[in-house]
Amino acid sequence: MTGRNFFPGGLSVKFALTITAVVAGVAFTIGAVTVTLDLQRFQHELENKALLLAHTVAVTASEDILRSDSWSLYKSLRNMTNQIPKEMYDTRILTGMIQNPEGIVLAHLNPSENPIGMQPFLPNDLEERLFIASKKALSPTILNSGISLGGFLEGVVPIYSDEKLLGVVRVRLSYDELFLKAQRSILIILGLTLAMVILGSLLGGTISRRITRPLRAMTEGIEAVGRGEISNIKPVPVYQDDELGVLALAFNKMAKEMAEKKSLEDQIAVSEKMVALGRITAGVAHEVNNPLAGMLNCIDTMKQHPDDPELVKRYLPLIDKGLTRIKNIVESLLIELRIEEAHGLDNSTSLDELRGIVESEINGCNIDLVWENHLCDDVILNKRRVQQIVLNLLKNSIQALQDKGTVIFRTFQKDEYVILEVSDNGPGIPAKYKNQLFDPFFTTKTNGTGLGLWIVYRLVESMQGVIEVESELGMGTQFRVTLPAIEMSI
Amino acid sequence: MKSWTVFLCLFVFLSTSTSGSTRAEELNTTNSTETIRFGLTAVVMRENLRFLDQWAYYLKKKIGQPVEFVRRRSYREVMDMLKTGSLDFAWICGFPFVHKRDPEFIKLLSVPIYNGKPLYNSYIIVHKDSPYQSLDDLKDKIFAYSDPESNSGFLYPQYLLLNKSSNKDTFFRHSFFTFNHAETVEAIAEQFADGGAVDSYIWDYMKEFRPEVTDKTRIINTSPAFGFPPIVARVGVDLEVVWRMKNAIMEMNDDPNGRKFLDGLKLDGFGEAPPNLFENIRQMALKVQNVNSKPNLASLNTSANSVTKE
Repeated sequence: MTGRNFFPGGLSVKFALTITAVVAGVAFTIGAVTVTLDLQRFQHELENKALLLAHTVAVTASEDILRSDSWSLYKSLRNMTNQIPKEMYDTRILTGMIQNPEGIVLAHLNPSENPIGMQPFLPNDLEERLFIASKKALSPTILNSGISLGGFLEGVVPIYSDEKLLGVVRVRLSYDELFLKAQRSILIILGLTLAMVILGSLLGGTISRRITRPLRAMTEGIEAVGRGEISNIKPVPVYQDDELGVLALAFNKMAKEMAEKKSLEDQIAVSEKMVALGRITAGVAHEVNNPLAGMLNCIDTMKQHPDDPELVKRYLPLIDKGLTRIKNIVESLLIELRIEEAHGLDNSTSLDELRGIVESEINGCNIDLVWENHLCDDVILNKRRVQQIVLNLLKNSIQALQDKGTVIFRTFQKDEYVILEVSDNGPGIPAKYKNQLFDPFFTTKTNGTGLGLWIVYRLVESMQGVIEVESELGMGTQFRVTLPAIEMSI
Repeated sequence: MKSWTVFLCLFVFLSTSTSGSTRAEELNTTNSTETIRFGLTAVVMRENLRFLDQWAYYLKKKIGQPVEFVRRRSYREVMDMLKTGSLDFAWICGFPFVHKRDPEFIKLLSVPIYNGKPLYNSYIIVHKDSPYQSLDDLKDKIFAYSDPESNSGFLYPQYLLLNKSSNKDTFFRHSFFTFNHAETVEAIAEQFADGGAVDSYIWDYMKEFRPEVTDKTRIINTSPAFGFPPIVARVGVDLEVVWRMKNAIMEMNDDPNGRKFLDGLKLDGFGEAPPNLFENIRQMALKVQNVNSKPNLASLNTSANSVTKE
């Protein structure tokens, strides 16, 4: 049972996964939005800083450009880098330059690669693109290489004197800090998300266990019912006053009621058995007592007149008849003993042997017997048992017809079963008797023992067969016995 | 004690500089409260403010009059201020000193003694990693001059270019002035310029105090010895004041405190200028100016007055 506490696709797993996914999703979304907003703000600040730095250079540059004072231009760029205090961790000036409108370098912070009087060094397409864009900048502009490690943005501020464009200042700030900051933020977010996932899964697991525990207990209970262990169902623990609690209560109530019902049924079954036993005892007593009284009378009379041979001649057959009747009753009651002993097997034609017996029974009566044995010769039957069944049913029908009518005996094979049908067009069985039809000593006939149908029922049952009765008042009765063919050979 | 001295120096400096007016100076009065204005050019390290304040205080003690050091960006400005009387004394370069002036408005006061002689050189320097070995290698390169009126920082390299085949104005692809020898060294060290001309005294001075800058440079040419940038007095200044100033600076070597200032300046002392000290500069200037074909520059001051004890 322990293995069944965990289902790979079970509610507890689904629930835990769902909660985890939701928690992770929320944590990640909030984190991503925060990081994005933070980075946007940071980038905006960086852009402003680049433009501001470029402005500080541009302000003094026009005079120096007009005087061709390269050294002063260079110094103003150099001073710009010194303006940034070290505490401004997020700003690193990668380079700065002053170009004339044709793009010729007037001063560059990396002078060895970008000597004055020449175009700046353009080692790649990006530099080329930025260079062209910077020449077109007629108002303060931001250019950038895209956020990446080694990436940068550039504040480009044109230098005007009396509305004449003298050149542009380009100040390039590194994106590295931004990138690293983004990386750090993302790592923090991922860490938080992971923590949330763990927390969520623990929470989900706990909650789902609490939810599914009563369900599991109920499942076990229902399985026990399936196995028939109704009186043995453990009550489902009720943890909370919610829907599941209500369900558990309902289940416990149902289990309790079922257990009570089962115990009641058991009691009824026992008392029914006692009733049946009582009926049998009463029947035996009655059936045996009747001939016994007659016989005791005879013996009593013979005792009084021991020398009267007439009495012996007259009473002895009566005593014989009485004892025979008692013997028959006892034999009928011990039918199971008899059939246990009866192992004689024969083919289906053995049934036809009964025809003569039955015909002799109806001799002198206005009864038609229709005999239709459709079984093949190779069907093997337990001769004694089947003969007893058929004979009892036929006798029953003949007696029910009261000297007039038709009795039909029909046999045939259907799939794995052998069907025996005995029908008559007699008065039919009143509905009130249907439940007692197969009870021992139940009879409506004056001289019947009430054991015929009871014997049929016991025999059919012993061969795991089924007996069905269809009867309608005034129309007739049909008994149908269905026996599994395989059982026939046993 | 030291901080107290500095404080006092600053106090004196501030109070004198606010009370002194340029108009008053032009009156050449001997009033002992009158501030003596001493002009400084790129021939010395002008950035060491505390040192200069202390030196001014020392001179004040010696002369009996407040002394104020006045810094200007270019030699030209200092010369103009001497001419207009805004300065009483100035430490100028040999090149402006040999210029013809009519009427003459300066006279030689003293010449610093450097490494035992009143002489210095011009260095042509390049970046230490550059392949350049001579001035010829710097053709079509970027060159940094210090001041258009500097001997070591402009005249000497101009003179060298006279011997080159191409025009001295187009020999370099681009040239500029830093107006400061120290900044010329920086320009080379930072590779803003491929080559430059500097005062040997300044370069050596920097080599001691800012070796991280000079270590990035390499000397490819050393000029012949030239007369060290002299200290001059304006002609109109009271002779008594001039005499006291001359004594004050020339006796610094004999004074323990004065010696400290000389050590700070990396000089041996101040002395009398030998005859024809600036002759080679004059000759160079003549040659360069002849090429420039500027008639008024052909005649140079051949015999600048010298302050002598009367």
